Amino acid sequence: MARGLSLYAEGSSPLHRAHPLTKATLTLCAIGLAFILPSWPLVLGVGVALLSLLAAAGVLRRFLFVAAGLLVPITLLLALVQSLANPHNQTVILPLGPLAVHREGLYIGLLAALRIAGLVAATFLFSFTTRPADLAEALMQRGLSPRFGYVIQSALQIIPQSLETADRIRDAQRARGLETEGPLPRRARAFIPLLLPLVLSALVATQERAMALEVRGFGLKVGRLARYRIPDSLGQRMLRWGLALAVVAALAARLLGWL
Amino acid sequence: MAEIVLRSVCFDYSSAVPVFREPGITLALPQAAIALIGENGAGKTTLTKLLNGLLRPRTGSVVVAGTPVAERSVAQMAPVIGYAFQNPDDQLFERTVRDEVAFGPRVMGRPRQAVQAAVDRALDLCGLAGQASTHPHDLVLAERKWVTIASALAADPPVVVLDEPTLGQDWAGRERLRALVRALGGQGRLVLVVTHDIDFVAQACDWTVVLTRGLVRYSGRTALAFADEGRMEEAGLELPAGTRLARALGADPAPVGDEAFAAWYRVRPA
Amino acid sequence: MTPVITMAAARYRYPETDHDALGPIDLTVLPGEWVGVVGPTNAGKSTLCYVIIGLAPQFFGGRLRGEVSVFGSPTASQPVNERSRRAGLLFQNPFTQLSGARERVDEEVAFGPEAHGLPQAEVEERVAEALRLTGLQDLRARHPLDLSGGQLQRLALAALLAMRPELLLLDEPTSQLDPAGSRALFDVLRGLHAAGTTIVMVEHRLEAVAAMCPRVIALGEGRLLADGAPAEVFNRPEVQASAGIPAFARLAALVGKGPPLPVTFESAVEALRG
Repeated sequence: MARGLSLYAEGSSPLHRAHPLTKATLTLCAIGLAFILPSWPLVLGVGVALLSLLAAAGVLRRFLFVAAGLLVPITLLLALVQSLANPHNQTVILPLGPLAVHREGLYIGLLAALRIAGLVAATFLFSFTTRPADLAEALMQRGLSPRFGYVIQSALQIIPQSLETADRIRDAQRARGLETEGPLPRRARAFIPLLLPLVLSALVATQERAMALEVRGFGLKVGRLARYRIPDSLGQRMLRWGLALAVVAALAARLLGWL
Repeated sequence: MAEIVLRSVCFDYSSAVPVFREPGITLALPQAAIALIGENGAGKTTLTKLLNGLLRPRTGSVVVAGTPVAERSVAQMAPVIGYAFQNPDDQLFERTVRDEVAFGPRVMGRPRQAVQAAVDRALDLCGLAGQASTHPHDLVLAERKWVTIASALAADPPVVVLDEPTLGQDWAGRERLRALVRALGGQGRLVLVVTHDIDFVAQACDWTVVLTRGLVRYSGRTALAFADEGRMEEAGLELPAGTRLARALGADPAPVGDEAFAAWYRVRPA
Repeated sequence: MTPVITMAAARYRYPETDHDALGPIDLTVLPGEWVGVVGPTNAGKSTLCYVIIGLAPQFFGGRLRGEVSVFGSPTASQPVNERSRRAGLLFQNPFTQLSGARERVDEEVAFGPEAHGLPQAEVEERVAEALRLTGLQDLRARHPLDLSGGQLQRLALAALLAMRPELLLLDEPTSQLDPAGSRALFDVLRGLHAAGTTIVMVEHRLEAVAAMCPRVIALGEGRLLADGAPAEVFNRPEVQASAGIPAFARLAALVGKGPPLPVTFESAVEALRG
């Protein structure tokens, strides 16, 4: 049967062992910096830092493999669109019939792609090195309501399970005579008979699950004790504050025109 | 001709999960009420899915009611073989029971009046005539299963597959199932019932197929299916209540089914 | 002895319906009893479980009248999730009882005790005990979705047992299971009964009810049709016409034995030998 959706890659690097909130802060700050910093050398610096962290965590190759499929088309698209159509375009590098590739737009497009690459790298860095259960646990230890913690923890199993249910639904409706392949009008007619059972059975399952959880004591307003210790340290706490301050400083500097 | 013929059918889900190995399954099923029994993992559901094309064999041929399955899509097999799946919530979506049951024949393009008549017949057989305008999700699970059975019957297929129909049914539901299976058989259809309910098999099915780890251990009259204790044990199956009772009272061979039980009891040595 | 369950003139009506799904019911269950509940579909058996555990009306809404008390206090006086310290309810569907938030069998069992804020050491002890009672120790590291239906149902039971309930309600626990899975579950219940847990079990497998439950109540259209020993209850015509009879009774009737009809294998062998 379908398991949970998770990008987590086993490992014991310092990043793996770091507190989930440290990693979350790192990710969010890296994304913040990637979008706040104005010039490409600075953004590239963020990118290089992220790549080094990915390497240190032993997941660089995995990242490149997964991200290539995402980032290459995005980069090409941004570079193309901006170099052809950005209003600030002036200098032509390469004429292409009625259109032309301009340097300004190319620069803008590539910089945007670089920022997005930073976002993707930071997100994958987090996902590869953090178990979702650990994140939920860390948040709940900091005071997040167990109900929200549950939402995080159960979100990951929902999608694979829904996909399996969707397969079964398609089988059942095909066996009743519904064609699901072929020309668009035919597939469009199949949409409701395929989607509605998925939604309805999800509603039924949700109600049953809610009853079962209630009966097990879910949602009690009792001080929920920590399930297990997730090691934290003064150093990490200082790092988190430091990162947050860096972002605030960058933002301030940008707004004040210093950067 | 309501018949099923499998010839040398091999199938695996992957190299790691073989189900029907060389030389494959060869099986000829007559028009009858047929029970398909065996442990979980023996290949029962796999076999039924090969009948309507949801699964395609690696080698061999499957012919259902004269139709070679390989030449048809799953949807094209629907007029030939009606399949009632185990989980009704995997297919219910219409607002009334009637609309739900009518879905199949409608999608197949049958004329409206013929569809209504067929739906009425199916609802009657399934005890749903009084619920025709109810929303399927207002019914409990056991009743929703009947909606899927009616849906499988609505296109009047010569072959009907019921996957674990007795699960969750009360005594009246099981009686109605027994009557349904008999009625469909009487109409000249082949009814294939995948089930663990051994008492239901003894009471409702004339023919039994025993599957053990991807092999057909027995295909023949139900009356003789339980004679071989080794085969039953290997298949992880129990004896029907009547057979068990008669055996405890010294019967050998032990009768299968209520009529045989009564007949045996009348003439048994004191 | 304080009764575990007391119902007096109890009635329950689901919201937006025009008739009582259950009631009026008078029922007393004493500690240590194992009560089988039989009846046709829609007789109110599940509703009975929901009313006793408190889901009706707390989860469903609707109207509850009359007295329903569990362990001496009315069900309305306590939220359902608090009651889980002393009472549990096992549902029909093995899959939807999983939390969906745990990736190991033992973590799934720990979910309830953790939600109650129990210390880690005690959680571990209870998990080990619950796994042992349900025979799942060897599967403790598995992902719950790798389990069979029967194993999942035992996992759901283990999750309830981790709270050490004195009262266990079961709503058609084996209806989605094969015979092997049912047998395994009934074995666990036999052990719990021997250890003193009060069990109220809704079941369609009448042979199992007749063999295992010293007391059977039959429901029909929300009311109690009969309440007593299996041999007595299953010989009542109104019960036979609605809930049915165990197979052995049917066979005995077929060959003209009784009334009263034997309802278990052993008593049928006896009766038919004569």
